[in-house]
Amino acid sequence: MRDLFYDLVRRNGMAVSIYLMLAVSLWVFILIILPQLTMLDYSFRFNLPPAKIGGPEDVYTLEQYRYFFQGSGASDGLNTLDIGILFKTLLAAVFVTVFDLIICYPVAFVLAKSSTGAKARLLVLALIVPYWINEILRAFAFRILFGATGVINETGMGLGLWDTPIDFIRQDVALYAGLAYAYILLMIFPLYNAIESLDRNQIEAARDMGANWWQVHAKVVIPYAKPGIASGMTMVFMLTSGALAAPQILGGPSNLWFTQLVYQWFNSGGNWPRGSAYAMVLLIVCIALVLLVMRLFKVSIGEIKQ
Amino acid sequence: MTKEISLEHVWVEFGEFTAVHKANLNIAGGEFFSFLGPSGCGKTTLLRCISGFQEPTRGKVKIGGQDMRGVGPNKRPTALIFQNLALFPLRSVADNIAFPLEVRGVDKKTRRKRADELLELIALPGQGDKKVSELSGGQKQRVAIARALAVEPDILLLDEPLSALDLKLRQHMRTELRAIQKQVGLTFIYITHDQGEALTMSDRIAVMNKGKIEQIGDGKAIYDHPTTSFVASFVGENNVLDGTVLSNDGKVMKIDAGLGTPFTVENHPAGGPALAPGDACHLFVRPEALRLSKDDGAINQFETNFITEEFEGNMRHIVMNASGTDLKLSLINDGTNAIDANTPVKLDFAPEMGIALKPGELASA
Amino acid sequence: MRMKSPTALIPGLYLTLFFAYLFGPLIIMVITAFNSSTFPRVSPWECFTTDWFGKLASDDKLLSGLGNSLLIGVGVVCVAIPIGLAAAITLSQVGPKLRAALYTIFIAPILVPGVVIGLSTLIFWDRIGTLFNAPYESFFYDGTFLTIFGQVTFIAAYSMLVFLSRIQRFDTTLTEAALDMGATPTQAFVKVLLPFMAPAIGSATVLAFLASLENYNTTVFTIVSSSTFTTVLSSKVRYGLDPSISAVAVIIIAITLIGAIIYECRNRYYTKGWAHVIAERPALKIATHPGTVAVILGVLTLAAVLFIQNHDSSVCTAQVLEEKRALQQQLMEQQSINTPQQAVPAPTMPNLGPLGGDEGGASAPSPFGNNIFSPENLGTSAREGN
Ligand SMILES: Nc1ncnc2c1ncn2[C@@H]1O[C@H](COP(=O)(O)OP(=O)(O)O)[C@@H](O)[C@H]1O
Ligand SMILES: [Mg+2]
Repeated sequence: MRDLFYDLVRRNGMAVSIYLMLAVSLWVFILIILPQLTMLDYSFRFNLPPAKIGGPEDVYTLEQYRYFFQGSGASDGLNTLDIGILFKTLLAAVFVTVFDLIICYPVAFVLAKSSTGAKARLLVLALIVPYWINEILRAFAFRILFGATGVINETGMGLGLWDTPIDFIRQDVALYAGLAYAYILLMIFPLYNAIESLDRNQIEAARDMGANWWQVHAKVVIPYAKPGIASGMTMVFMLTSGALAAPQILGGPSNLWFTQLVYQWFNSGGNWPRGSAYAMVLLIVCIALVLLVMRLFKVSIGEIKQ
Repeated sequence: MTKEISLEHVWVEFGEFTAVHKANLNIAGGEFFSFLGPSGCGKTTLLRCISGFQEPTRGKVKIGGQDMRGVGPNKRPTALIFQNLALFPLRSVADNIAFPLEVRGVDKKTRRKRADELLELIALPGQGDKKVSELSGGQKQRVAIARALAVEPDILLLDEPLSALDLKLRQHMRTELRAIQKQVGLTFIYITHDQGEALTMSDRIAVMNKGKIEQIGDGKAIYDHPTTSFVASFVGENNVLDGTVLSNDGKVMKIDAGLGTPFTVENHPAGGPALAPGDACHLFVRPEALRLSKDDGAINQFETNFITEEFEGNMRHIVMNASGTDLKLSLINDGTNAIDANTPVKLDFAPEMGIALKPGELASA
Repeated sequence: MRMKSPTALIPGLYLTLFFAYLFGPLIIMVITAFNSSTFPRVSPWECFTTDWFGKLASDDKLLSGLGNSLLIGVGVVCVAIPIGLAAAITLSQVGPKLRAALYTIFIAPILVPGVVIGLSTLIFWDRIGTLFNAPYESFFYDGTFLTIFGQVTFIAAYSMLVFLSRIQRFDTTLTEAALDMGATPTQAFVKVLLPFMAPAIGSATVLAFLASLENYNTTVFTIVSSSTFTTVLSSKVRYGLDPSISAVAVIIIAITLIGAIIYECRNRYYTKGWAHVIAERPALKIATHPGTVAVILGVLTLAAVLFIQNHDSSVCTAQVLEEKRALQQQLMEQQSINTPQQAVPAPTMPNLGPLGGDEGGASAPSPFGNNIFSPENLGTSAREGN
């Protein structure tokens, strides 16, 4: 640490080094690490009224985690409701991630390999513009689209595909479509960056040696773009499983997203320790899943970029 | 004012790797001194020790008799011209040149005046408001020099400043650099892997290999009397023969190189460690020292066969083979040197033109 | 001329479909902002109206939320940009091992769910506040401060990525040259590195501000009892769909498009090729200058605002209302004839939908009949129609 500071001072001078160290430590400790640790600590406590905090009853407990696994009953039955919601959330997030990968890969490829100059820049701009529009509004747009009298239902019924309005909201179709829409950009850009740096000659060489288009992608492009695919998938998965706005707006009334449970324990439930425990569960499960998949695909966290 | 520099047993180590190996030398004030060596031999590292970007792991760098340890690059009386020039791309030419004055708090008007003077010196008058990117390679080169001169340094350090230029410009800039040095009278320390540059410009040259200084001397000494096999093979073209010392009386040596009669070679006083009878040695003879024998029985005569010839107009570069060893031969194209490709040809060389040295690493061609 | 083979058309077709997915929902939302129906929808089309914009202008909650959002956005930029810059510079100067470790820490806030960041920020400052026995009015419990801290946690990481991609192209010998020329390390930083980073500081600022403005997941926790533009919008959406939300979208989309157009014009204007073209043609030079484009767009915007303020759709809406009343009358008569049968004739429903309020969403799953026939409801929509 002292060496590091000495080195920074030698390169940047005292004033700038102090700024660098101060800004970085502020961020890392005050904004990132300490709050997470406090939340971790909080998740191991009872939900006490403010007066009793720090008193004799304020001891560590596994109660909040036990609740997640076993529910309110003292019996050893499982809390199938909450565990089920967690699984459903993760499964849906995986689904959304894979869906995004499938629809974005061709776009990224075409963008990276067939467009040049002004055209490519315009296409990239067209990709970004929808993401300057508020997340809530994007969800709202899907609400309109998939409503009982929305464009989808009207068109479907107009074409005679079905004759009573389908409740897309209750079926979670609107939610999945909205979530997939929400994070498309975070999938496209890592893919685009990865594929763009691939030498065109490699593709042509593969073609030349008799590979068909499917083999070119499977044997040349996809292995090369693996870090991009990994970071895109990680981003989309983490953001989807941690999404709150879209499930609140597009989710069916009985179908909760796991983040909504956290929100409920916090707001209406008034139980911060339990909310913390649920948040920790979400965080740990998601990170574990991502690390596992990364291990399987042999990519490292350091390769994640935007 | 100029200051002398001395390096006292300077070592630079990066972990296990030794980049500079016990460098020991003195550079006089006002001298044009070059470090010459293949790429990766530690020249830049040594220069960074002088300019203050690198502290030696052992040893001392003294400028004007003063130990420089702990003195930052901005406090040393040196100015460095970087290998890539390092001109500030966002500043105009004049602002680049005036940068040293700006950071010393000189007011704007004086700065501009000084920048214009320096632009005059480097023959780019009135170009101060251009962007750096609008200059040609040679102009950038000169701006970098002007910027370094604006520091009013005692010592100017130049790290392969001409390597990015094309051949013509490079040759032109050699003369120009030397002229600028004469004009401003500063100590120049010049780094290059190009022996032509080193030989034409320098007062003295240090030849380096793998972090070690192999030889220090003026151009003539280095070319005519190399003291190690590396220097002999790196500086200029050379033919090398493996041989064994038969006798050494301090003035002349007899050397058996397996080409008939033993060769007679003068023993130069600066020729490195003495060779004793029975020692293996490298015998160097430069292509221009080899000549076609006029008469049989001349000293150091041996028989060769013609291989190929490369014609260059004024010179003829010929490759001959002597018992399995290829030898290069440079002859002036004066019409007297006819060679019959089908019969053996006798060559010889003068005893003072052969150089016998302890076998050592040779520079790869 | 040679015909393109059908397979060569596939990429184009795919891109078209993809961009339809991207823009379709937004376009539909924009259209609904101009339909006088009280439920945001495209069909049936009732009347072209600009009244929903008027309704926005008088929405105090939304406006005060917007005020808070702008304040928070400025705060976030002021804190996150220096932090992101410091982080990127630090990363560029440390050894590879420490660099990898730091990078993982720095990048983590982007991957951690926003909900978790919001929660932990709230708890952390609450604990600190308790530790110092701070009163409830102190900043430890203040929504604006907490939201700035919470958002900076991950927005600093975004800006760090922007800075990192720029600093990777920085030639470190420039700093060495400055030092060699006698600059102090601080001078080298200020005169060489900072100017080089300036464009990245610009784009990181825009990015950070927009990210702050649109954030919901973290903000909804840290904002406590206050509100931001996004949280107000979210509660509006959740407690009843209303075309004035579409009107918000129209405004935001318009601003975005104007920004994008000016940005693109600027890019084109400063390309080498274009500089060549306009060198000899002053008129073209002025006409394509991004400033000119900005002025034209500004005038168009002003015209749109004036149009919105002055457009009157009351005649049309009154007529639609009248038709509905008549239909309702008819239905009631039918109902009285067909007693004791159920009154709701399914096939006519879609036509009556406009006054249906929420459509069985999460918040108010109302059976269709109730408020369609409620006279108050008709009254409200009539008043709003003016
Ligand atoms: N900071 C450093 N860390 C490790 N090795 C270095 C460093 N700087 C230079 N080297 C090594 O030292 C050797 C000499 O480098 P340099 O002085 O740049 O050579 P030259 O300028 O003669 O081409 C090279 O092998 C290079 O890889
Ligand atoms: Mg070098």
